[in-house]
Amino acid sequence: MKKHAFLLACGYLLCWSPPAWAVQVHGDPEGYLVHQMGHLFFIAALVSLLCVLVKRPPGRGTPWRHLKISLTLFLLWNIDTTLVHWLVYRLPGEAFLFAGGSLLDDRLVLPLAGRWLFYYLGSFDHLLCVPASWFLILSLRGFCVEATGRQNQTGVQAP
Amino acid sequence: MTDTITLPLLPIYLVDFFGSTLMIIMSAVACYYARRLLRLEPKNFLWTFFFWLTTTVMALAVSRSLWHLLRYIFILGGLNSVWRALSPYSGSVNTIAFCVAAAVVFYYHNTEKVVATVQRDAESLRQAHLKLAEAHTELHQLNLTLEERVEKRARELRLSEEKFRGFFEGSKDMIYFCDAAGRFCDINESGLRLLGIERREDLLGQPLAEFFLDRERGAQYRALLAAHGQVKDFEAEFVGREDGPLSLMITAATLTDRAGATQGYQGIAKDITHFKKMMEQLVHSEKMTSVGQLAAGVAHEINTPLGIILGYAQLLEEDFAEQTEVHETLTIIEKQAKICRRIVADLLNFSRQTLEHNKLYGDLNQCLEEVLAIVNHTLNMDHIFIHRCLAENLPKTCFDNERMRQVFVNLLTNAHHAIGSEGIIGVWSRWYEESGQIEIIIGDSGSGIPPDQLGRIFDPFYTTKGVGKGTGLGLSVSFGIIQDHNGRIEVKSPPLEPELVALDMHTTFHIFLPVIAEVPEKE
Repeated sequence: MKKHAFLLACGYLLCWSPPAWAVQVHGDPEGYLVHQMGHLFFIAALVSLLCVLVKRPPGRGTPWRHLKISLTLFLLWNIDTTLVHWLVYRLPGEAFLFAGGSLLDDRLVLPLAGRWLFYYLGSFDHLLCVPASWFLILSLRGFCVEATGRQNQTGVQAP
Repeated sequence: MTDTITLPLLPIYLVDFFGSTLMIIMSAVACYYARRLLRLEPKNFLWTFFFWLTTTVMALAVSRSLWHLLRYIFILGGLNSVWRALSPYSGSVNTIAFCVAAAVVFYYHNTEKVVATVQRDAESLRQAHLKLAEAHTELHQLNLTLEERVEKRARELRLSEEKFRGFFEGSKDMIYFCDAAGRFCDINESGLRLLGIERREDLLGQPLAEFFLDRERGAQYRALLAAHGQVKDFEAEFVGREDGPLSLMITAATLTDRAGATQGYQGIAKDITHFKKMMEQLVHSEKMTSVGQLAAGVAHEINTPLGIILGYAQLLEEDFAEQTEVHETLTIIEKQAKICRRIVADLLNFSRQTLEHNKLYGDLNQCLEEVLAIVNHTLNMDHIFIHRCLAENLPKTCFDNERMRQVFVNLLTNAHHAIGSEGIIGVWSRWYEESGQIEIIIGDSGSGIPPDQLGRIFDPFYTTKGVGKGTGLGLSVSFGIIQDHNGRIEVKSPPLEPELVALDMHTTFHIFLPVIAEVPEKE
C-alpha cells in the first residue's frame, strides 16, 4: 500500500510538478547529449566486460561463447545506435516526408552521401539487438542446464 | 543542387515494430533464465550479476521497444502531439537504463576482482583444508597404529638387546669395551671372573693397560691398535686372578665415528692359561719321555757290563783272603758297582722300564702312614714336626705299594733337606668324588724353590744339593712312578691354597692319582 502511494506520488511530481525556477533549466540539446553519453557509457562497460571475459575467462564452454557473441552484438548495436542518433540530429527537417497517417507512403529524402546511406541502414538496429538477445538467452539457458547438472551432484563447487 | 535519394521508411518501421516486440519478449525470457539461475545457485556472484544485467536490459528493451510500438499507435491514431509530449520520457528512461546497465557491468568488473581474490583465497583455504584433512587422516591412522608400532619396535629392540646381552654375558671369553683413553667402559661377567674382580663398578674406569703383566706388552697392544685399528690373536699375560698370571689371547678393534675419530675399543680375550699349561706339561712330558728313553737305553747298555764287573769282583773276593789289600780293593769295586746298579735301577724306574709292576688294591693313607712312621724318627731328631691331615673317606685304589712308598720317601726326604732343621712338613690326602681322583700333598716350610728352577726339578740328574749328597734322580723317579700310575705330580712354590699358606708351607707337591677299582685275580 505504501509502495503504491509512493509510486503515485513520484508520478505526480514528475508529470505535474510546477517549474522550479530556482534551479538551472536544461535545454533541448542536453537530453540528446545525456542519451549519447549513456550509450558511450554502456559501450565502455561492454568493452570492459568483454576484455575481462577474454583475459580472465570465468569458465569455458558453449554458454560462455554465446555470452561473448551476445555482448559483442550488443556492443555493435550500441555503436550503431550512437552513430544513428548522431546522424539523425544532423538531418535536415525536410528529409522526412511523412504522408500524414499512412506509414506506407512515408519517405526519407537523403543527400546522396555515404553517411546518410549508413543512417538508413543503421536504422535497422534491431537486426543487431535481437540476435544479441537471442544469444543471451542461449547462454543463460546453457548456464541453467549446467547449474541443474551441478545440483544433481552434491559437493561440486559452482564456478 | 545536391543529388538526393528517396528511400521508403516502411522497412525501418517493420523491422522496428517486430524487433521491438521480439526484444520485449526475449529480454523477459533472458530475465527468466537469469532468475532461475539465481534460484538454483543463490550464492553464485555471476548469476547475481546476470540477473541484474538482464533486468536492466529488460528495462531498456521495454522502455525503448514499448515506446516505439506506442509511437506507431499514436501516429496511426492521429495523436502525434501526444507522442511528441511523451517522447522525452521514453528517451530519459532509455538513458537511465543504459547507465544502470553500464553501472551494473562496471560493478561486476570491479567486484569480479574482489570475488576472484576471495575465490583464490577460498580455493587456497579449501586446498589447505583438504591437506589438513589428509594430514588428520594420516595422523589418525598413525595414532591408531602408533601404540602397535611402538610395541613392535620395542619388542624387536628387546629381542635384539636380549640376544646380544645373552651373547655378551653368556660368553666364556672376556668381552670388553674401552673408551678412547683405553679405560674400561663395560665388561662381561666372564671378564670380571678372569680378572678376579667381583663388582663391575670396581673395574669400570680403570685402564686396560694396567692389567698387562708386562707393561711393554701393553704398550705394544695399544700401538698395534692405533696403527692397524685392530689386533688379532694377540697373546699377553694379565694380572688379576688369584691363582697366578692370566694368559689371554686378545682380538680387538677400534671403534670410530663417521668422521673416523676413535671413540673407543672393543675386544674379546680368550683365556688360554690352561691351554698353555697343558702345552707346557705336554712339552715337559715329551721331554721326560725322551730323557727316559735315553736313560733306559744307557741303563740297559750299562747294566750288562756292570753285572759282569760286579759278578767277577764277587768271584775274585772269594779267591783272596780277607784283610788283604786285594780283597779290600775288590770290596770297594763291588760297593761302587752296586751304587752304579742302584743308579741304573733308578734310571729304569724313571723310564718305567722296570719289568715288575706289582699293583695291588690298597689304602694310600696306610702306605703314607707306614712311610711317615719310618721317617718320623729322623725328622724328630732335626725338630721337624709333621702335620698330617688324611682324609678318612679316602677310597682304596690299585697301586704299587713299594714304588709308591719310594715316591713318598723321596718327597719327604726332599722336604727334610729343604727345611734342614726346625720346621713343619705337612701331609694331606684328599678325595675328589666328582673327578674320581685322590690327591696327596706333601709340603714343607723350607726356603721354597726359585721360579726359574720350578720347570727343571723333575729333570733327571738335576739337583741343588751338594756333590755326593744326591744323584738328582729322586724326583725324576717319582715323576716316572706317578705317571706309571696314570697320575700326575705338580709342584707349587709358594702354594696357592690359603690353608697351606697358613701352615707356613713354602713348597707343596701335589700327587693326583685316579681311583682304580680292584680287578679280580684270575685263577
